[in-house]
Amino acid sequence: MTATTAGPTGSAPASPLIALSGLSKTYGGAVALDDVGLDLWPGEVHALMGENGAGKSTLIRVLAGVTPADRIRVRLQGRAVPLSSPADAAAIGLRFVHQELNIVPHLSVAENIHLGRPAPRRLGFAVDWPRLNAQAAAALARFGVSGIDPATPAGRLGMGDRMMIRLAALLAEADTPARAFVLDEPTAALTHAESARLFAVIDGLRRDGAAILYVSHRMDEVMALSDRVTVLRDGRLAMTAPRGGFDRAGLIAAMTGRAEMAAPARTAAAPGAVLAQAEGLATDTLRDLSFTLHAGEVLGVAGLENAGQSALLRLFLGEGRLRAGSLRLASGARPRSPAQAWARGIAFVPRERRREGVMPGRSITANTVLPHLAALAGPPGLARPRAEVRMAARLAGALRLKFRRLDQPVGSLSGGNQQKVLFARAMAGDPRLLLLDDPTRGVDVGARADIHAAIRARVAAGGAVLLTSTDLAELLALSDRILILRDGSQVGLVPALGLDAAGLLALIYGMAGRAGAA
Amino acid sequence: MIWLRRYGTLAGLAAIVLFFSVMLPETFLTLRNLGNIGQQVSMLAVVAFAMTVVMVMGDFDLSVGAMASLSGVVAAVLFVHGWPVPLALAAALAVGVIGGILNGVLVAVVGILPFVATLGTLTMFGGAASLVSDGRTIFGRDIPEAFSGFAKGTVPGLGLPALTAVALAVLALVWVLLEQTTWGRRLYAIGGNAEAARLAGVRVIRLRIQAFALTGLGAAAAGLMYAARVASANPTQGNGLMLDAIAAVFLGMTMNEEGAPRVLATLVGVLILAVLDNGLTQMSVDSYVREILVGAIILAAVGMAGLGGLARR
Amino acid sequence: MIANSVRRMAGALVLTMGLAGMAFAEGKVTVITPYLAQPGTQFYLDGFKASAEGKGWDVNVVDTAGDIAAVIARMEDAVTQGVNAIVINVDPAQVTAGLEAAKAANIPVVGMDAGMSPLLATNVTSNGYAMAAETATYVANRIGGTGNVVMFVFDAFPPVQMRGVIADAIFANNPDIKVLDRVTPDVQDGGIADSRAKMEAILAANPEPGSIAAVWAAWDQPALGALQAIEAAGRQGEGIVITGIDANPQAREAIAAKGNFEASMAQDFAGIGAATADAVARVVGGETIREPMIYVPTKLITAANVAE
Repeated sequence: MTATTAGPTGSAPASPLIALSGLSKTYGGAVALDDVGLDLWPGEVHALMGENGAGKSTLIRVLAGVTPADRIRVRLQGRAVPLSSPADAAAIGLRFVHQELNIVPHLSVAENIHLGRPAPRRLGFAVDWPRLNAQAAAALARFGVSGIDPATPAGRLGMGDRMMIRLAALLAEADTPARAFVLDEPTAALTHAESARLFAVIDGLRRDGAAILYVSHRMDEVMALSDRVTVLRDGRLAMTAPRGGFDRAGLIAAMTGRAEMAAPARTAAAPGAVLAQAEGLATDTLRDLSFTLHAGEVLGVAGLENAGQSALLRLFLGEGRLRAGSLRLASGARPRSPAQAWARGIAFVPRERRREGVMPGRSITANTVLPHLAALAGPPGLARPRAEVRMAARLAGALRLKFRRLDQPVGSLSGGNQQKVLFARAMAGDPRLLLLDDPTRGVDVGARADIHAAIRARVAAGGAVLLTSTDLAELLALSDRILILRDGSQVGLVPALGLDAAGLLALIYGMAGRAGAA
Repeated sequence: MIWLRRYGTLAGLAAIVLFFSVMLPETFLTLRNLGNIGQQVSMLAVVAFAMTVVMVMGDFDLSVGAMASLSGVVAAVLFVHGWPVPLALAAALAVGVIGGILNGVLVAVVGILPFVATLGTLTMFGGAASLVSDGRTIFGRDIPEAFSGFAKGTVPGLGLPALTAVALAVLALVWVLLEQTTWGRRLYAIGGNAEAARLAGVRVIRLRIQAFALTGLGAAAAGLMYAARVASANPTQGNGLMLDAIAAVFLGMTMNEEGAPRVLATLVGVLILAVLDNGLTQMSVDSYVREILVGAIILAAVGMAGLGGLARR
Repeated sequence: MIANSVRRMAGALVLTMGLAGMAFAEGKVTVITPYLAQPGTQFYLDGFKASAEGKGWDVNVVDTAGDIAAVIARMEDAVTQGVNAIVINVDPAQVTAGLEAAKAANIPVVGMDAGMSPLLATNVTSNGYAMAAETATYVANRIGGTGNVVMFVFDAFPPVQMRGVIADAIFANNPDIKVLDRVTPDVQDGGIADSRAKMEAILAANPEPGSIAAVWAAWDQPALGALQAIEAAGRQGEGIVITGIDANPQAREAIAAKGNFEASMAQDFAGIGAATADAVARVVGGETIREPMIYVPTKLITAANVAE
């Protein structure tokens, strides 16, 4: 391990490893960061939180040296150092793992780990593949990662393994010692198991004395991991506190500037009419699912990554073929295409916002009204722009969308607000059945609360919801019952009331009775 | 900056018109010359408007030129066989729709990239045109006066050349379809993100086939206009329309922020190409130099639009 | 920024001014052709330009790269520009709209191997009838007015069809000449390969030496195909006489080899160009040319003069 400059934990160092202060940055008059300070101590995980647009991204870009700050003071172990270029950042010892991993899919794991540095040579020119692969395997082994063949193309690996490759690559960069790691939403695309493995690696780095700046929206992770938390709001420092000095409610208040809206107590109302009934359902990936879905109910679907959650939702959307069993809807047979599904009041919020959800170049209005064009149209298929704008405006208001103009391209909104547009699209037709595939992925706390409120409103109005989420707390908070899948099979259907994250995880892993690690 | 991006190309057209008006004060801005331009551009305009329909979805149709040749030849061969003019024209237009559907099926159902699929059909249509015509030019007495006379005619009362009137009618039709109907909205949605549109209930496959069919129909119509204008049909005469049509759509795409094709913007692109051809010929600029200039101006327009976008970031 | 973009556009166009600097001289003639890339067209133009230079004209050559509709468009542009005369090198039936525009503006249009049209002041070309007559009489004389002749014709294309008619008449006028077959080859691949196949079949059907006296072809490609068939069948020693028309390089080579391919007709392309320039001078000078077609003499090519 190269992160060796700081002393071991326990013997408290006298000064922070890296101290930023007086950091200000404006973009053409708009203040992105205003007099922000941040200390990174060796052997500490420092969480950075804030809503989308609070200034986290700018802070990270400044740290990486890609965006020069207007004013900044940087001290490395008490000594003033410059930070205005990526080279400065590297010299300080900062290493970055961005949301979008810089992995070249066609290259092997080993090549990715050695990317940008000369590979070991034989005879001065031929790449020494065995040595390259051995070095890569050693780098991975430092994280306790085994089972990744360094010769595999990186594109074949899951997100979790890619994250490990990226981290290994950072550690392998030997020019300057890696002192501090900046992880930007590292678990956004990871499964629970992959996240758990990443946390173990982070713990290892911390014990070796590295400083970790951990940027995340996920409250549970922050509570579990961090030794210190800094919250930004509107470009200003809203709060910074060591472990013990913050709690969940306090963090939310600091981020949003308002107290957490207490979730309205779920009324254990009598279930409504049966909306859908599955019996012995089987497809290529799903086996033997039997459940009913009632009006006014949220049915959560939980499981490890690719346990079949998405496939189940897609089945209701008219995709996939039934191999056995039946899926009956109150409105008739199962739709045979997404077009039919939407026409029958089934709405869908996809998992991959960029790939499956938004049309980034199209306006908020166009994105919102797309499935409802026929309902809004005049007689011979003529579009009615004013009705379209009215619909978009109504939903933007209801979901508290932050936007400048309804005709601005959706791609110019923050991630959370893009997600709200997808919700607006789904909600616009007052759907009988809402299919939500991990609907708050990478969404900040405020937007998340607005989305949750919209889901609850739909349920209160008699709609049914089929929900998956990688955030177990969210699943528990929203669902009435939870369907648990493992490898496409139904392993349980339990009421959410009285269940906690540990209990749910135990069910997912099939360790009922044992306490699962959150 | 947005201003430059949006209106730079239009300003370019204005500048070109201004330039020729100054250089050719006697002849350029005359009713007669403008009428000429309107007539000269009509076939390219129809192909470009039709091309806009598929480019809205982010697709391409390289087969439009070959289809224009094919439809002209089909009509001419049917004339030779003594078919009445309206029937022969209907058959030629039907060939356009069928060819377009073939393109649509290859792209939307079989899943071949539009570039490759329409490159294949381009070759097929070209071969079919040679086969149907025996590789010959059909002209003279075989082309009925009722057909070729149309291209020389004007709209009664308006003095508008008939071919220009057809182009304007196609423009109006495509504009209504793309800008005023839910059908057009869905096409733009496919262009914005096809998978997202599909999951949001847009029948992507059906729409793509319909759009390609419409483009095929437009190409066939342009081929008939061409055949009427030259009072003859040969199996390669429309081939040159394809690249100019794509260039016109690209010129038009420089005119909006999202870089999405708009049919009125395509019209500006078409006019730029036509005005340059007309004016430079009148100034006796060598035809090869003219080609180099036209290419350079296309690149300049698209390049400036690109720079405008870059500067906004 | 907008001003900047206009300036850039204008800059590009000002450049064209320089290129078009000599645009406004006396005697402006625009030559429009869709076929500039074809070798024959270049010879016409060389002859035309050489002659035009002596007359002090400003000649603008427009190539539309195969696009016939563009020929009409450029004719209209030339009319608008007010040139003194237009020369076209395309079938006038296909560009009637352009011819009418020129007529309305009283601008004369002269055809350079274009075709006959009342809208043209005149058309300068080679006499297809005369060319066919020369090769057909060459064949008739060489075989002493007796024997079987194979004809290669193409009646679907008028300029070639007229050659066949003349040869028919000349052979019919020799009572002892029998036309064995009148073949229309498939021309998709240029005509050589299919002509060879057809000739091979005819040779097989007439195996007796001397049963075929001559092959008359309406253009060079079938003549070359027939030559290949005869040589492949090993019957080059029978004295079968072959003639073509056009005298293309491949044909000249065959004639120079002194084999069965004995004669072809050469058109004087440069002469057509020069004569076109003369015709233009006459119509611009106010003369009305009475004959719709002006023929430039052609030349019989045999082994004796093929090297010239």
